[in-house]
Amino acid sequence: MIALAIVLTGIGSYAMRAFFIFVLARYTFPPILLRALEYVAPTVMAALVISMLTTPEGEIAAGLPELLGLICTGVAAKATGNHILALVAGMGTFWLIGAII
Amino acid sequence: MNTHPSRPALQGALDALPLFIPALPFAFVFGVVVAEAGIPELLGWSSSPIIFGGAIQVTLFTLIAEGASVGAAVSAALIVGARHMLYSVTLAPRFQNQPTWFRWVGAYVLIDQVFVLSQINPIDEPMAFRRYFLGAGFTFWTLWMIFTALGVVLGPVIPAEWGVEFAAPVLFVSLMMAASNRRDKLASAAVAMGVTYSLAALPNRTGILVAVLVSVCVMLFATRKSST
Repeated sequence: MIALAIVLTGIGSYAMRAFFIFVLARYTFPPILLRALEYVAPTVMAALVISMLTTPEGEIAAGLPELLGLICTGVAAKATGNHILALVAGMGTFWLIGAII
Repeated sequence: MNTHPSRPALQGALDALPLFIPALPFAFVFGVVVAEAGIPELLGWSSSPIIFGGAIQVTLFTLIAEGASVGAAVSAALIVGARHMLYSVTLAPRFQNQPTWFRWVGAYVLIDQVFVLSQINPIDEPMAFRRYFLGAGFTFWTLWMIFTALGVVLGPVIPAEWGVEFAAPVLFVSLMMAASNRRDKLASAAVAMGVTYSLAALPNRTGILVAVLVSVCVMLFATRKSST
């Protein structure tokens, strides 16, 4: 049963990734759709961050260390454009504030 | 940002490496979930090549451990992964001038990090795009296979109080900033955060998908207003 669940999920998740690549292979995108697609990357990333910081019941599962850590990550990422530095800044702040309070 | 790398496959692989560091603790979280669900190690690990999606794999096994039916566990896992359909739509124009084999193979490695890399390094030349995409995708793939195997075998070796899972939201904030290279894109991210929070109680994280659709529509409306 577990093997069946793994295979079904594998087929489903591959189909979701491949579907529009194949369906829209010969489709000319209208300008408004191309404009809309520019917002997909920033909005999905933002939505993932919030969903990681909330419980399935909708409560915030983050305190001051998480909040300050993510602010430092955002500032470091914007300033340097380097993901490693942003990670160091974010985790460093998170651990530091967590150790203090 | 180098939009015309001379060695696109190598550049893709190098760009993928730093993004894998935050995925490391996730590989161990996956290992713990498989162990707690009482699933044999090899069977649990087989989901890495078959599904290749961390959040989808963790959701599936968490629900199986909680005694959910196959149908319920599979559908919840697929809803968690539904954002990949948006990636498929977004990348469809870039796959139009590509050979069919690349559509099949590229779709397989279309994960969050590879998607964002392809968005923040827009490469116009089809062959360079293809090599960059595959370089990044299969670097990530190889590392995920190795570290989920380690995660399943080693299980809960990382002390929970270190909070290393926090590396995941940190990575996504960093990716969000990289993808927000214009002020309106940054605004779209802010809108999406607010909408996701207000929808956070929706089952199976459906809020992610709804929030993206709502914020994209809000931004289309807002930018249309300001430009006319």
